[in-house]
Amino acid sequence: MSENRFPGVDGPLFKRALLGSLSWLSANHEEVNRLNVFPVPDGDTGTNMLLTLQSAVEDIKESNAAEVSKIAKLASHGSLMGARGNSGVILSQIFRGFARAVEGKSSLSPAELATAFEEAANAAYRAVNKPTEGTILTVAREAGRSAAAAASGPDSTVPAVIAAAAAGARAAVLKTPSQLQILRDAGVVDAGGFGLQIILEGMLKTVEESESSLAALAASRPVASPAASQVAVELPEGGWGYCTEFLIEGSNLDLDRIKNQIEALGNSVLVVGEPELVKVHVHTDEPTRVITLAGGYGKLLKLNVGDMSTQHRRILEGAGQAAGAPRSNGVGLVAVVAGKGLVEIFRGLGVDAIVEGGQTMNPSTQDMLTAIESVPYDEVVLLPNNKNVILAAKQVLGLTKKNLHVIETHSVPQGVAAVVAFRGDRPGADNIAAMKAEAERVQTIEVTHAVRDTRSNGLKVKKGDVIGLINDKLEFAGTDYGEVVNKALSKLGADSYELITVYRGEGASDDELQKLESDIRSIHPSLEIEVQQGGQQHYPFILSVE
Amino acid sequence: MPEAWRQRYDIEVVPLKVLFGEETFRDGVDMNNEEFFARLATSTKLPTTSAPSPGDFAEMYTRLAKDHDGCISIHIARSLSATAEAARIGAQSVEGFRVEVIDSETVSMPMAFLCRVAAESATLDQATGAVGDRIRNCRVLALLDTLRYVEMGGRVSRAQAMIGTMLDLKPLLLMVDGEIKSLDRVRTRSRAIPRMVEFFQKDSPVEHVGVVHAQAADEAEQIAAGLRGKLPGLEVPVGQIGCVLGTHVGPKALGLVYIKK
Repeated sequence: MSENRFPGVDGPLFKRALLGSLSWLSANHEEVNRLNVFPVPDGDTGTNMLLTLQSAVEDIKESNAAEVSKIAKLASHGSLMGARGNSGVILSQIFRGFARAVEGKSSLSPAELATAFEEAANAAYRAVNKPTEGTILTVAREAGRSAAAAASGPDSTVPAVIAAAAAGARAAVLKTPSQLQILRDAGVVDAGGFGLQIILEGMLKTVEESESSLAALAASRPVASPAASQVAVELPEGGWGYCTEFLIEGSNLDLDRIKNQIEALGNSVLVVGEPELVKVHVHTDEPTRVITLAGGYGKLLKLNVGDMSTQHRRILEGAGQAAGAPRSNGVGLVAVVAGKGLVEIFRGLGVDAIVEGGQTMNPSTQDMLTAIESVPYDEVVLLPNNKNVILAAKQVLGLTKKNLHVIETHSVPQGVAAVVAFRGDRPGADNIAAMKAEAERVQTIEVTHAVRDTRSNGLKVKKGDVIGLINDKLEFAGTDYGEVVNKALSKLGADSYELITVYRGEGASDDELQKLESDIRSIHPSLEIEVQQGGQQHYPFILSVE
Repeated sequence: MPEAWRQRYDIEVVPLKVLFGEETFRDGVDMNNEEFFARLATSTKLPTTSAPSPGDFAEMYTRLAKDHDGCISIHIARSLSATAEAARIGAQSVEGFRVEVIDSETVSMPMAFLCRVAAESATLDQATGAVGDRIRNCRVLALLDTLRYVEMGGRVSRAQAMIGTMLDLKPLLLMVDGEIKSLDRVRTRSRAIPRMVEFFQKDSPVEHVGVVHAQAADEAEQIAAGLRGKLPGLEVPVGQIGCVLGTHVGPKALGLVYIKK
């Protein structure tokens, strides 16, 4: 009975389900962003997952494939190409596992769908070096288990299996604080897991709508669901420009019209929502024109002006080759870095291509792949320079035919140390060993302000406090840069080191810089201090100690 | 050139010159190293350097011609200085005196090693042959505290040193066959010094080795002591970098200089 009413998950249905996920995640990704456990400003899990999912859907948008296997394969490929941030990369692995599980199938029974969910979770576990419970991985697994349980009954239906998966995800998300201390301390659930829950809920909404359409049309095939029709996604062609996001609040808003007009001004256009509230996302070179245009339709909310530049990423081509002539070892260098000064420093050190990105602006696997392909060498070393970029960087390994090495630099100082150790006349393997050794030798202190009240690593932190991280780990909080930096230097035993390089961020004033320098000198007079204009966002100061 | 060698081997020195603005000083004659680096530290404009004139050489050769038939005249690399050319021209004006002008293709203490090799030869021909055989084996490993001076002097570009950045890196350079090439770039001295010694050890064995420094005597002595422990039977002299080379390498430069076997 039920099988007649809802035949199974075929290509068109899975496509609509994914478009529904995208729509639902785009409406909710800010919620995911807010689940930021760490007091450093890196709350971009929702954005990363949205951009990853958007890339997954870009590939299937034009496909009319009848087989679910074909749609799943396109989604797998697309998500991998657009994977951003850790959660985005894991999401891409979930799609990959799903695609493998449904290979060769034109349509999935409820039981097959449940198995595919379970396989998707397994693939995600396998992709991660040290799987941590209480994260998106756990949520994926629990979703798969619930789906399998729902599929075991004789009257099981596709909507019931998806509903069970979403419910399983939701329950698992709520449990994440009991599994991870950092979530408990911060009083939040896991952001990546929550993102996955939203994706499954988006699927469920679409399928339920399909179901009601089916009922209404008495077993005939439904037309595209309303959720899906509101989604428009475009591949970037002339580069990314500025990422511009906002909500339009108005009445009788014509989504198609707004979408058409915005599409003329940029790409990666996403216009979703209701006639009363529309979410717009666009990559454009002319953000002010987009804003002016949208302002004509209603009141603009949550205009993301700050993110216009942070999301802005470009591949900066070569030009910075210090050595000029091609290198005798035939090895190219690509680095992920943001901030005008830091970009110049890396270029000056001989990096061939720079992918703009870093904290809260994780570049996609595709961005890095493009940069690597642009470099005129068959062997390339990639420096992610941020812990949140490493996983996406490693995905490029499977996508390029070049001999790619990813040196897992967690910070700007580690990246600089690695590049300094690079020599154009030394074979790849020797270079990589030297670069790794130098990156590991340098100590990193990052100084920023807490973006929320939290407890982390045994520290009570108030929103706005100056916080100091040593090698990615929150160690000190206070009210003053000098105080926090000196505590961090003392903890490192700084007097056994020689040189401190201060990379000044765009948020630090001349007075703050001078005071920091004199504060360091007063406690550590034997250390040489070198100041560089880094221009990085979010971190007024990044210090390298070596 | 260690003072002891000058006396032991009867070596004459024609000094290059360093110029602070309009004032000219003969290296080691009108200005010693301490005076030079003190003035360098306070001078707003970097000094420049110049080769001796042909006349300076003619004067020297004329004096030597009184009681010698000829001499071997060993000079800083032509790629760095016009000294050897000045010597060649100067020699032409001294009748009846044979001058073997040698482009050492190197700089600093290896020239002293070559002088010693020449002095220990029985004849001028043998000296010329022995020195000629060793030119290709001269090496200068230089660790600069900053690229600023060598860059201002126009002898090495940032690109050559693989330093195109505002970051204050310490270049490790190697001079061989009259050419300067970059070996490495290092962030701190404590990391750079072992790197220099490591490179030297890979380039062994050596016939002569010494350490030179610009206002970095303690580090130079430490390096030399370490080498003496490993290379018994070698003298390993420590020498100061003079005014002229100091102009181009800057304070705190260290050199590990040697002639390969």
